Amino acid sequence: MNAIAMVIAFFLAMVLETLPSGPVYGMIHPDFVAMLLLYWSIRSGSELSYTVVWLIGLLQDMVMGDVPGGQAVAGVLMIYALVNGLGRVRHLSVWEQLVFIFMLLFAHRLIVWSWQLWSGPVSWHFSLLISPLMGALLWPLFTYLLDYLRHHMQASS
Amino acid sequence: MPALFFPRRYPPLLRVAAFVLLSIVIAGLSEKHPNMLNWSGNLTYPIHWLDLQVTENWRTVGQYLQDRRSLLAENAQMREKLKTLEPKLLENEILHNENRQLLALLDSFPQPPGKMAVAQVIAENFSPGSQLITVNLGSRNGVQVGQPVLAAGGVAGQVIHVADLSAQIALISDLDSSIPAQLAGTNLPLLVNGKGNIHWLSVPFQPRNTTLKAGDQLVTSGLGGRFPSGLHIGTISRVIHNGDEPFAQISVRPAVPLGQLTTVLILLKNKPTSRPDKA
Repeated sequence: MNAIAMVIAFFLAMVLETLPSGPVYGMIHPDFVAMLLLYWSIRSGSELSYTVVWLIGLLQDMVMGDVPGGQAVAGVLMIYALVNGLGRVRHLSVWEQLVFIFMLLFAHRLIVWSWQLWSGPVSWHFSLLISPLMGALLWPLFTYLLDYLRHHMQASS
Repeated sequence: MPALFFPRRYPPLLRVAAFVLLSIVIAGLSEKHPNMLNWSGNLTYPIHWLDLQVTENWRTVGQYLQDRRSLLAENAQMREKLKTLEPKLLENEILHNENRQLLALLDSFPQPPGKMAVAQVIAENFSPGSQLITVNLGSRNGVQVGQPVLAAGGVAGQVIHVADLSAQIALISDLDSSIPAQLAGTNLPLLVNGKGNIHWLSVPFQPRNTTLKAGDQLVTSGLGGRFPSGLHIGTISRVIHNGDEPFAQISVRPAVPLGQLTTVLILLKNKPTSRPDKA
């Protein structure tokens, strides 16, 4: 996959993550960066390096202003689970992937949430469930859009 | 894609464990040295800058799409509002003069707020627990860690990280936030803590027989020297006296609509400190 295109995609995903659009958007929007990591890992096979995943997560922590390391650890563990535990997900259709994507995004969210305990007690909130659900529901559209862009770029290059 | 730090000859589980360990070390260090990642604001500025552009353009499009009729209706509504506000303004002026005379008698003029700067919100993070915003002013504009941040209505939060061109603000609803307060018109010292929820704050450690009640206004007490005294924090909305609990549960509705901030006011002339107020 074109590295520059991926850098731009991650840049835009982080912009979407921190868009000042009020608390409702902040609570329910899917984790676009995590979805992009999943997409990249599924489409590129074993190409995705844990170092890159970790660095992207660390950058996201800085962008969000969260306790550093939360997104980084969650990203690495999520990709590890996808590659080693749920390897078959790659071979499923986009619609069949929905459940696994929800599970992975939920696990990712839980790890980020528990990482915040470094700075004090964090209460449970429904958005911990809503955000992964939104991510899973958007997954077919998300993959379709990225597949389209990818094929379009490959054809033009 | 080449592995940058850990070559792929190591087993995946070992690489993952190494990254988890590294993250724990970084999280621990950042808790010990809160200013450690101040520089990261410069690194992430392009993302926050793009956030601002997207939001501003979205608002412009929204305004453009608003039809003439709704603008006229809004205009008429504003005129009506102005009619009711004008007498109040006059009344305020009279009260202000009276207040000055009374304060002069007491020889206790409040400190002027000092230099202020208007900052625009360029990014938000409203995840459970974290209630953070990023603004477009940084150390180049005189912003420092610990400075109080106000918005229309009262206190909004305080600066926790500063980069050259941006600063991060923990809202008063952030779990880490704790402000010395008092009941308006009294000297009863209180604390107002964030609960990680944009709509509610809490007043901890009040006995079950507390005299605080719904509708009471809370203002900053000025203790600790971080916030000037008399700034509106919020209104008590609920006091629960639970028989089993040693303290009353007091919920406060913030005076500022924390979820709708677009511009904020930073009080610049304040002593620089390394950490925001913590209970």
